[in-house]
Parts: sequence; structure tokens; C-alpha cells
Amino acid sequence: MLTYVPDDTLAHRLDPRSKLAVQLGFAAAALTHTSPRAIFALTGLAIGILAAANVSPTRAVVAARYALLILSLAPLLAAVTLGPPWIDTDAGLTTALASYRVLLVLLVSTAAVRSTRVRDSRAAIQRTIPGRPGHLLGIGVALLFRFLPVLRTDIQTIRDAMAARLGTQRRAHERAGTIALLGLSRAFDRADRLSLALRARCFAWNPTLPPLSFSRPDIPALLLAITLLCSTLLTTIPL
Amino acid sequence: METDQRGVELVDDAVVHRFVHAVLLATLLGAVAPVAIPLPFSPAPITLQVLFVFLAGLVLGPVWGAFSMVLYLTAGAVGVPVFAGFNAGLGVLFGQSGGYLWSYPFAAALIGLFVHRGTDRRDPANASLPVVVTALVAATILIYGMGSAYMSLILELNAWEAITVGALPFIPGELLKIAAAIAIVRSGRLSPNRVR
Repeated sequence: MLTYVPDDTLAHRLDPRSKLAVQLGFAAAALTHTSPRAIFALTGLAIGILAAANVSPTRAVVAARYALLILSLAPLLAAVTLGPPWIDTDAGLTTALASYRVLLVLLVSTAAVRSTRVRDSRAAIQRTIPGRPGHLLGIGVALLFRFLPVLRTDIQTIRDAMAARLGTQRRAHERAGTIALLGLSRAFDRADRLSLALRARCFAWNPTLPPLSFSRPDIPALLLAITLLCSTLLTTIPL
Repeated sequence: METDQRGVELVDDAVVHRFVHAVLLATLLGAVAPVAIPLPFSPAPITLQVLFVFLAGLVLGPVWGAFSMVLYLTAGAVGVPVFAGFNAGLGVLFGQSGGYLWSYPFAAALIGLFVHRGTDRRDPANASLPVVVTALVAATILIYGMGSAYMSLILELNAWEAITVGALPFIPGELLKIAAAIAIVRSGRLSPNRVR
């Protein structure tokens, strides 16, 4: 699991909105540029972005290991054909390159995850998405982050209690139903108490947000994001 | 730090209540994401996430159910480890499984609209069984349709290859989850009075 780690890298000093822009630009460029030259350039850029957040490429690949199975299976499935010639190398190669480009997108986002505090992301959400939806999303992310370990413990407690009562020998849908029902009742009990606590503390539409500001290192990051997005637009829109 | 000097604009009590329930349901979706039961001959394990997408639509209704799912995706995108395998990051939303994740808000809204017949919430235990089953099956088709279509687009697979790798292995697990969701709704233990 790769999460935020306090550090003083270039990526840590960037505004979360710049990092969001770079990720969007990179994803758009990686999913549209299919030539080997472009993939080579994107690989170099991805390694550079990981270095800027002090994440080793190996560590980033390990963090993305859950995606690797499907990404490695897809080219094999694309290559196999029903009937002669049985193996279509071109189709397999095309999908293999597509899988590689998806992997690059996943690696680049680990750099942002490692270098961005959730409270800064929350402020970025509230400043980027206008009005009440942005406010609710921002507060929601902060509360979700706070309650995630609590509910994980709840789910583990439920599973331990089920195991102690031979619940693991029940049918799969009964087990899933029991975890879901008990998990939801516990979560909603917590929600009732949290709702009361928020109202008691004057939960408002206009709170004071943590400060965020663009600084000098954000200029090249934003330029990079704009370049990547422009390169995508030039590829997809025929002039 | 610059303090907001305007008067405090309190959030309505009913909104606070529904909002907090939507947040906790999104959190629960993240909490069960690492619970994965491996399936033989399948590239991806069964997770309980889709069951909670069903419950979001059934219990919270179309508006707050969809909000809960959008919140889950936003939290994952900004780095809270809520996606399968403790993953996070915007890249996951654009990765090979992105289509499934993007479909969650639509699936929750679809179930909510079917079962609650509009944006006013009713007790899902009172909805007729065929309506609940139709809603859950339609939502499952939507989730796997969007998931496979996106996978086929992004990995340059043809439709059948994408369905083979991205939908077929999950059908037995999904049937179990639909059965579990129906049992939960029929138990009557999730009355919407809790989420006024």
C-alpha cells in the first residue's frame, strides 16, 4: 500500500491542483499516443515524475501489483484466436503496448498519492468544485479518511465473530449478507452519532479551509500538464 | 490562515443526516474493498464492493446513493486507499478497471430510481420482489457493461475478449451478491427511517 509520506521533494512542494493537472495530462497523453517513440518518451517522463516524488519504480510497480495480473493476461487473450493461425501476434502486441501504457498511468498516480496530504486534497477539491457540491465532497473525503480505519476494524471484528461461531462454514451469500448487514448497521449507528456531533458543532456551508497557493515550482508542472493535454488534442482532433 | 469573516451558514439538519449516512456508506465500501475471495479460473477475485453499491441505491435512494459513490471515487482519486487491494490514485480511475468504478454512481442511481420510484425515499422492504430483482440485474448489467466496454477500449481488446476477461468470470459471484442484497432488503432491518 502506497500512501502519503512526509518529505521535502519537488512533488511535495507542488500545489495539489498542479499534480492533478499533470496526472490528467499524462493519462490523456498515454491513452492516445500509441507509437513506440511516444511510449518511450512517456516512460522517461513517468520515471522523471516518480523521481520527483522520491518513489522508486520498483516500489510503484509493487503498489500496482493488483492490476498486473489482468494487464499481463489481456495480451495473451488478445493474441489467441479461435481457428488458424491460432496466435495473432499483432493483436497481442497491440494489447501488450496498451497494457504497458495503462501501467504507466498507474505508476504516475502513485507519485501524487505519496506526495499529497489528504487535507490538502480536500482543500483542492473545495476550491476546484464550486458551491455546495464541492463543499460536501471536500468534507466527505476528510470524514471518509477519518472513519476508514474505524470501519475496517468493525468489519474485522464482525468477521472474527463469525469465524468463532463457525460462520465460515455457511454458504457464501449468507456470509456476504451477514457482513454487509452487520457492517451497515454499525456504520449507520456511527453515522447517527456523527450527525448529532456535527450539528452540535454548527456544521456550516462556509468553513475556513487550509491555505493553498501556487508557487514557482507549479509553473513548469502546469506547463507540462498543458503540453500533454495539447498533444492529446492535436492527435485526436484532425486539423 | 485567512478566516472566513461572514456569518455562519448552517447546513440543514436533514441534509447533515443524509450526508453523514452517505459518507459512512462510502467509507464502508472502502473498508470492504480489501476483502477478496479468490475465484478459480478467474483473473479477479470476488469483492463485496458491488454489494455495497446495491445497498447505496436501495437504502440511500438515487440522489444520496449516487453522491455516496461519487464521494468514494473522489476519495480514491485523491489518495485514500479505498480501491481493491488498498490501491488509490487518479490512475486507477483511468486504468483497466476504471469502467467498473465510473459505473458505480450510475448503478446506485438506477437502483434508487427503480426501487424508490423517484427521488423521494420509500422503505425498500415494501418494494415488490420483481422490482428489486429487475433493479439489481439492470445495475449489474450496467456495471459490467461499462467495465467491459472501457476495458476493451483501453486495452484494445475486441468485445468478446473484454467480456471473457472482464464479465463472465464474475457472473456466479454477482448472482450471490444479488441474492444477499435481496435477503438484506427483505429482512426489513434497514428501514429508511434510520436515514430520514
